[in-house]
Amino acid sequence: MQSFPRGLTTVEPLVAAESLTKHYRSVVALDGVTFGIFDGITGLLGENGAGKSTAIKIFLGLLQPTSGRAVVLGEDAARSITVRARLGYMPEHDCLPSALSAAELLTHMAEVSGLPPSRARTRAADTLRHAGLFEERYRPIGGYSTGMKQRVKLAQALVHDPRMILLDEPTAGLDPAGREEMLDLVRKTHREFGISILFSSHLMSDVERTCDRIIVLQGGRVVQSGEVSSFTTETETVFVEVDANRDVVMEELRARGVAVRVDGAGLHVEGTEASVYDHVRDAVVSAGAPLRRMAPQRRALAELFDREDDTWEAR
Amino acid sequence: MVPHEESAVVADAQGTVFDIGYQRYDGPREGRGRARFAVFKNGVRTALGLGRGVRAKILPWAFIILLAGIAFIMALVAGAALRFGGPEAVEQLPSHSDFYGIASIFFFVFAAVVAPELLCPDRRDGVINLYLVRPLTGADYVLARWGAFLFVSLGVAWLPQFVLLAGLVMGNPDPVAYVRANWLDIPRILLSGAALAAYTTTISMMVAGFTTRRAYASVFMVGLFIVSTPFTTGLAQEIEGLGGQWISMFNLSNIPVHVNDLIFGEVSSVTSVAPARELPAWLLVAWYGLWVLLPGGVLLERYRRLTP
Repeated sequence: MQSFPRGLTTVEPLVAAESLTKHYRSVVALDGVTFGIFDGITGLLGENGAGKSTAIKIFLGLLQPTSGRAVVLGEDAARSITVRARLGYMPEHDCLPSALSAAELLTHMAEVSGLPPSRARTRAADTLRHAGLFEERYRPIGGYSTGMKQRVKLAQALVHDPRMILLDEPTAGLDPAGREEMLDLVRKTHREFGISILFSSHLMSDVERTCDRIIVLQGGRVVQSGEVSSFTTETETVFVEVDANRDVVMEELRARGVAVRVDGAGLHVEGTEASVYDHVRDAVVSAGAPLRRMAPQRRALAELFDREDDTWEAR
Repeated sequence: MVPHEESAVVADAQGTVFDIGYQRYDGPREGRGRARFAVFKNGVRTALGLGRGVRAKILPWAFIILLAGIAFIMALVAGAALRFGGPEAVEQLPSHSDFYGIASIFFFVFAAVVAPELLCPDRRDGVINLYLVRPLTGADYVLARWGAFLFVSLGVAWLPQFVLLAGLVMGNPDPVAYVRANWLDIPRILLSGAALAAYTTTISMMVAGFTTRRAYASVFMVGLFIVSTPFTTGLAQEIEGLGGQWISMFNLSNIPVHVNDLIFGEVSSVTSVAPARELPAWLLVAWYGLWVLLPGGVLLERYRRLTP
């Protein structure tokens, strides 16, 4: 299996794509991609048709690559079915039976993953508790909200305690509150449960807020990969947010010769040197404005990828 | 926070609530065998409506009771005939060899109604996607489901025959002598019941494998059997000779009954008018085998190629 250098050490990835190619007749879904997925939360970013779902299906052994190899937890994904007992998968689309309760579904899925029935029942109850569905576990899934259904989908991927889970668009169809809850649960799954995650999404903000690393696919090729923090470096501005008198603060800053522009509820102040912070402090005091936040502005992933011309190449 | 970290929250002066956090699973993992058995077990429960509401139980159990009821009535009639007409009167009555011919239509309707329940909802709701990402192939899944319905069908096929057997044994003044004289009926019942169950299971599961709608599968299956019987019977009477015999072979209801006749060594009342009965025994068995193996192969191949 190919090893990948990370910092000063070379470590074995949990999942490795080695010159992975997949053709559907004349359509190239993956074009010789090579990357590794390590412990942590890795975002697989790309638009619809970029090759994310194809890559996940190859990792799960559901599709055979046209050429190249996928190594998952040390085994060739194309040849090993048993490796799936140590993987969890949350599909993007509907996959829940409306007549069953979450407890019944998870118990059954734990058994299908190879757990004995008595252990499967215990694991189902524990997993639903961690997913925040303990009280509703005996209700038919058909009566659940979209957010609850997404949590059941995540819980069924976790019920057999996999080494790694693969999430395909886990926030699809959720409202902002539900989306935030799901992202919290994903982060908790890694940080508290110690399970590594491949997070496939086309939403950059979700990936940015959740993942440690990203792999960006476009047209079946890897166009970017690396630590999220390396993409979201600090900018040359300070973001200031006040609860009142924002316009007065802006006037005060301009009077002190500081370049400033309005952005929503806050102000972007040019420069990051110490004197800028002194000017902001003085301006806020002069304006009598309650200060809510003052911090160096970081780039958002969305700023880094120029998508106007339908490309995910870094600017 | 790291895994296994324990935290305690003092709830009140009397007790303490412990949150032991997420626990890793370090118990046995029984692999593909457990996965197959789980799908099989779930299939049996689904077919019989176990663990579900009353509505899910009504249809399968209605058919089971109906078939057992037919056998019970046959046993009662045989007992009455023996008492009032003697052994000669019982000889004239339908018995084990005739049962599947008489009741086969109810088996077909049972299979048409219940078999789709094991395959259609999983594909319609997308649950199949959760199965196929586990240590289970599409072929494992469909074989486990087929096995589950075969298991239930065997029970449904054998139960009435054993009700009838019990009635005939208990209705006889000398039960031991009756069993000694007719013990061969037991393996014959088991074998012909298995032939009927394998046939109805495979065809109904194959039909269910091609639609996500249970109703479509049921209607198609019932239509297949109901239409084929009068159509082939009428046509076979018009075209005599070998042509008529071959047309009669396409009476789907009769295919397992011909095998039943060969097992019991006598022609049942249903197939006595079918020209196909005059064809060689090996051909009738091969024809039956074709109607089990071909749909079985189609079903297996369909699920083998299935990906989420």
